[in-house]
Amino acid sequence: MSKIVEISPTTRHEGHSKLVLKVDDAGIIERGDWLSITPVRGVEKLAIGKTMDQVPKIASRVCGICPIAHTLAGIESMEGSIRCEIPRDAKLLRIVLQCANRLHSIALHNILILPDFYIPGTDTKINPFTPEEPVRSVAKRIQRLREIGQTIGEIAGGEAVHPSNPRVGGLYKACTPHAKAKMYDLAKEGLVLAHEQMEFMLAVLNNMKKRDWTEVGGKQIPLPKTLGYHNQGYMAAHPMYASSNLDDNPGWDPQRWTDVRPWDWYMGEGEVSLADPSYPIGGTSPVGTKVNPQMEACTGVPLYDGAPVEVGPRARLVKFKNFDEKGTWGQHIARQLEYTDNLYTIFNALDEYNPSGKVLADPIPQGDGSMGWAANEAPRGTDVHLAKVKDGRVLYYEMLVPTTWNFPTCSRALTGAPWQVAEMVVRAYDPCVSCATHMIVIDEDKRIVAQKLIQ
Amino acid sequence: MLFPEIVVAGCGNPLFADDGFGPAVAEELGRLELPDTIKIVDAGLGGPHFIFTLINPEQTKRLIIIDIADFGAQPGEIRDFRVEDLPAGSYRDIHSWDLTEPLQRLKDSVDITVIGCQPRRVTAPEFELGLTDEVQEAIPRTVRHVLELLGVDYGMAIKNLRNEGQQRETGRETCSGEG
Repeated sequence: MSKIVEISPTTRHEGHSKLVLKVDDAGIIERGDWLSITPVRGVEKLAIGKTMDQVPKIASRVCGICPIAHTLAGIESMEGSIRCEIPRDAKLLRIVLQCANRLHSIALHNILILPDFYIPGTDTKINPFTPEEPVRSVAKRIQRLREIGQTIGEIAGGEAVHPSNPRVGGLYKACTPHAKAKMYDLAKEGLVLAHEQMEFMLAVLNNMKKRDWTEVGGKQIPLPKTLGYHNQGYMAAHPMYASSNLDDNPGWDPQRWTDVRPWDWYMGEGEVSLADPSYPIGGTSPVGTKVNPQMEACTGVPLYDGAPVEVGPRARLVKFKNFDEKGTWGQHIARQLEYTDNLYTIFNALDEYNPSGKVLADPIPQGDGSMGWAANEAPRGTDVHLAKVKDGRVLYYEMLVPTTWNFPTCSRALTGAPWQVAEMVVRAYDPCVSCATHMIVIDEDKRIVAQKLIQ
Repeated sequence: MLFPEIVVAGCGNPLFADDGFGPAVAEELGRLELPDTIKIVDAGLGGPHFIFTLINPEQTKRLIIIDIADFGAQPGEIRDFRVEDLPAGSYRDIHSWDLTEPLQRLKDSVDITVIGCQPRRVTAPEFELGLTDEVQEAIPRTVRHVLELLGVDYGMAIKNLRNEGQQRETGRETCSGEG
């Protein structure tokens, strides 16, 4: 008979989420629900009536991790609405900013997942903070890669956390030849380190693929070869950067997107009937805890072509580079393969970039209320912003952020895994939960059917 | 080098009313011409993630964090805190799994001051833009205080902020570590 186990909160990712898992007698997940429990907020409502310059800045504040993706997607959705083509040199610096941010993000994600993995050839799990080799050198390399990403991002974007340089119509400032040379030098240093780090991570991942078990909470848990497999599709708008409605061949189509409400998707009321106090950190929820994912989930469920999809590094590689590794390990491998792609893209953009070129469109149209959208390939996947701008003011704004797409897909990918390794499946999506929490639900006729569940 | 000798980080979320105090002070400080050894950062919510876990104590010797803090004072009052004064969990990296806090790691090798401003209204999780008057009026005082801590004499322009009627005289102004 099925039992229910709850892991709340899940750890080593941004925001608050939890897992409600229906498992069989052997502890294998029959149905998993991974859901956000971060309170719902309404950035879309707040945006209405604000200027098109203000709204991307507001959007960049919904999360402490993804301000660059939201700034770029926000600005480009405005440009999509007002039909503003930006100068090529501005676009190139935005691409540099994007790739620098993703470089930092992959390096940080390495730290978050390494404790789930073993030093190859041993039964010793990796503690990224140990002063002992070989891990200490790896940790130092990760820190340097983060620094390089942040420094390049700061030069191209104006500031390293909330980029001040991008604006509707292009950029405020061009980068000088000196700044270009500095970014180039940093990228050269980064490329060597990224190669080394990618090789290290691939060795760790390939070692893990061969293992039959992993230790969780002092117990040996079997690792299925199909960990994290799902039958959902993939969605990616561009191999590295972004697409918008201004493109000749747009990489995303708003007509293919619909939402369903969480209560049509997640499990209903239940009670925890299996608990394990030895599960890290602090054990699972005690027996008797009431669960109700339908009502607790803080996100709508977006669908593309009527089904949930995976977004992120693997989706990009599947869509654009014929990558075919499935499951949790495949997802991690895809992310490592993007390490060097970021740096080669930075080189190519800088090679083309002309420091004396224009970086601001002139004139900048003020908009007639037409719909515009931009789908930015953020580290975690496709970050779609939609906007309507009229006379410089925002009439409509919507954010469809990567983790919102991944919640239902990842939930399906949990089936068949021992419940103790469910968090490993979740972490492979590099979730960012606080941005994912938006409760605007659009039905097939594009009508808003629910705006806020928790008032 | 990402961070120089002195880093001033304005932390908080402008979408939650007075929680935007830190970024607002960083914006004001960013308008000033300061020595190259000082970096002003609008850290937003990314302080622990993008700054505190990336500070290298071999390069950075001083960190000033500007944020709101509830210490039971009148709204708009500012006070200096040390890392030891902060409750557990302040500035914990949201990714942390061993509950280690980046400021605890740094505090013995970097001189850290947290300038806290008592908020009137923090609306989280609901969004509200704009600081309350009391907290808005604490901005010039905080800018002056940061400059004092840094030993930067910005001359008359900053001193005269007080006389330009840009803040109410409350008679309860505290700029230093009286707490």
